[in-house]
Amino acid sequence: MASIDLDKMLTKIKSTQWALSDIDWDAPGAELITDEQWPKLKEFMADLMWIEHVGARAFAALAKKAPDDTLRQIYTYFHAEEQRHANAEMALMKRWGMLEGDEIPEPNINLRIVIEWLDRFADEMPLYVLGTVVPMLEIALDGALCTFLLDTVKDPICHQAFERINDDESRHLGVGFTVMEMQGRGKTFIGATKMLAPLMDPRLILGIASYAPLLNKMRDNVIAMGLPEEKLYKAMKKFERIGGRTEDGRRNPWFQIIKYHGRFVTNRSQKVYHVPVDGLVKLTNMVPRRALPAVPSWVKELTWQPTATH
Amino acid sequence: MTEPTAKKKPAPRKAATRKRAPAAKKATAARKPARKTPSVKPVSVLIVGAGFAGLGMAIRLKQAGINDFVILERGNAVGGTWRDNQYPGAACDIPSNLYSYSFAPNPDWSRSFSGSQEILGYIHHLVAEFDLEKHIRFEQNVAELSFDDKTGVWTATTDKKAVFAGRAAVMAQGPLSNCSFPAITGIDDFQGHKIHSARWDHDYDFSGKRVAVIGTGASGIQIIPELVKTAAHVKVFQRTPGWVLPRPDFATPAWNKALFRKLPASQQAMRNLLYWTHESMALAVIWNSPLTRIAERVARLHLRRQVKDRWLRRQLTPDFTIGCKRVLVSNDYYPALQKDNAKLITWPIARISEKGVRTVEGIEHQVDCIVFATGFDVSHSGTPFPVKGRGGRVLGDEWQGGAQAYKSINVSGYPNLFMTFGPNSGPGHNSALVYMESQLDYAVKGIKKILQDNLKMLDVKEDVQRRHNKEMQKRLARTNWNSGCKSWYLTEDGFNATMYPGFATQYAAQMAEFEERDYETV
Repeated sequence: MASIDLDKMLTKIKSTQWALSDIDWDAPGAELITDEQWPKLKEFMADLMWIEHVGARAFAALAKKAPDDTLRQIYTYFHAEEQRHANAEMALMKRWGMLEGDEIPEPNINLRIVIEWLDRFADEMPLYVLGTVVPMLEIALDGALCTFLLDTVKDPICHQAFERINDDESRHLGVGFTVMEMQGRGKTFIGATKMLAPLMDPRLILGIASYAPLLNKMRDNVIAMGLPEEKLYKAMKKFERIGGRTEDGRRNPWFQIIKYHGRFVTNRSQKVYHVPVDGLVKLTNMVPRRALPAVPSWVKELTWQPTATH
Repeated sequence: MTEPTAKKKPAPRKAATRKRAPAAKKATAARKPARKTPSVKPVSVLIVGAGFAGLGMAIRLKQAGINDFVILERGNAVGGTWRDNQYPGAACDIPSNLYSYSFAPNPDWSRSFSGSQEILGYIHHLVAEFDLEKHIRFEQNVAELSFDDKTGVWTATTDKKAVFAGRAAVMAQGPLSNCSFPAITGIDDFQGHKIHSARWDHDYDFSGKRVAVIGTGASGIQIIPELVKTAAHVKVFQRTPGWVLPRPDFATPAWNKALFRKLPASQQAMRNLLYWTHESMALAVIWNSPLTRIAERVARLHLRRQVKDRWLRRQLTPDFTIGCKRVLVSNDYYPALQKDNAKLITWPIARISEKGVRTVEGIEHQVDCIVFATGFDVSHSGTPFPVKGRGGRVLGDEWQGGAQAYKSINVSGYPNLFMTFGPNSGPGHNSALVYMESQLDYAVKGIKKILQDNLKMLDVKEDVQRRHNKEMQKRLARTNWNSGCKSWYLTEDGFNATMYPGFATQYAAQMAEFEERDYETV
């Protein structure tokens, strides 16, 4: 994957839009979900849909930080596209009878904390922080989870929807890695060191404290679903492989941080990392939902309905 | 900051239509002999457009003792932008005491910021007071303007093949006179009703309708609060939020009107006060200064005070320096967006479908009517009709890389031609009519020179024009308009052929002197 021309990419994004109404959500195939699959799939889909939504919010923050108008427009589209994925995944849940009325699935506590962090601090983060974390989340969680989903679910409409979602995601990753390389381009040691300054920012420290347990929690969830752990780790290694393919990419200190973090996550014997983070997962599970403030209004934009008449 | 904006329903259309009838007949009369004889007797001045600029030009010519002029108007009534922009809520965002001609004060403005009907009424009043009707040829849409080197005469040919000639010509067709539906994919597929803000459909009943408004610029933010009052649901599609300042709008008390009537100097004093207040805004709007931050702070406080939801505030917060795009003023836009029957949508539009607007988050927003508040077709690099100068040179071709003129009013190679709101004459902080007055008076000086010295040609020297533009672009580079945002002020390549980089006072000073040495005369 070579660096891409962002202007051409923007044109391509604009010309390859799809809508929920392009898919026949009532077509046969929903019955292919087995009774055994159903409850686990419901939880899995809820997590997946929330990850898309969290990704959407991160892109909204990136759009604010974009260095030029092309990238700003691309991120604005990606923000909406991630929302579309969440909407489409909710439409699948609705099709499979997993949603009652206008109900929106409940996010797990770690996602809920990440949502809160994004709402408060994401817009304050420099481009290179979110610009590196987002591709990792996409490649690891989205990529691995989607592949796993398509391996296990036979419903043709699910395949149809994810074919479109994956097309979008491949563009998101293409741009993500290109931006990571742009951020590392021509960086001197001092310039690169400066990029590490946000590590001292308490807001980012809080972000890390939300992100790390989310990854471990997701790992636990997908394993419970029957996804071989290795598939997740393989996807995370892909981040290291593609992000580090060029010198510019490797020079981006945030790529290095996220890469090493990925190595920690995938190495279960790394007790120094996993013991405290797993502890955080347990701790966050004890956080009563009432303790969290009301969900921000951007969450209420989610809908499984292809058309809005009011 | 001079565009449309009235508070109540349109009214003066009847008056405009009524007035037009005799003049329209005259136009037909003028056309017939023109067909027979291609060379018509030239008047002293041909004016294209009967909006604020064209009528103002006519008044100043009359006041200078030049009565031999003709105004060609493509519509069937006077008023230009204000005739066309009669959408609900249309009003001016410059106070009326400043958005009016100093040589024709109106002591009876009903509000500090008058609506478009009242402004149109003022324009009709100008026509009556200065007896301009007889000079206007309605429904004469100029298709070409060409200069004859031998005779030194400009000939205007209309799309009905009528021919008019003048020793001097004034292009006063206005920068905001043309509009079209935007090039959004699928726009022709929409089966519902489509309305453009500048061509409002007064017969369409919005009661109980689901409406989409595309565009949140000066027109959009005025239309939305009115539509929310009647429509069942209003979805507002925003691409880029603008900076919105509070509007100090109030009804003019009766004593104030009486005072202005009895003591005209008091109205002049008010005008001066408004003028200098707006002049000071240049420091915030045109250049990036500490005042820019203060203006942004005021706009943010306005937003914070009116919008409590953090996400909605974020959606409405601009990410460019105030002034880079046109500054908006409104007290009722933010509250309107938060009504139960309104919703702001910031997802990019993917396409328009048969039933509504599809946005990139994958949802089709179904509506009965789409209102396009998408502004005007502002030409940065062409002319509204072919303009042929000395030796048949075509102005549109010369302007392909961006329009350029001398002091915004003359172009080398196009003798005896004057422009209102020509290149680099746009204000960002003050009344357009203040700028207009400077242009009109400059044109009168030039025209007087042509007539008094019986000149065939008064043509600005090319090197003078070049030097002027070099200086303009140098100064523009330091302004907020050229600070990186996309706006209608700039061409696709980022060339600013629209705005004047300075105070209105500087512009007036630039236009005060008519330097004969800058011109070649024949």
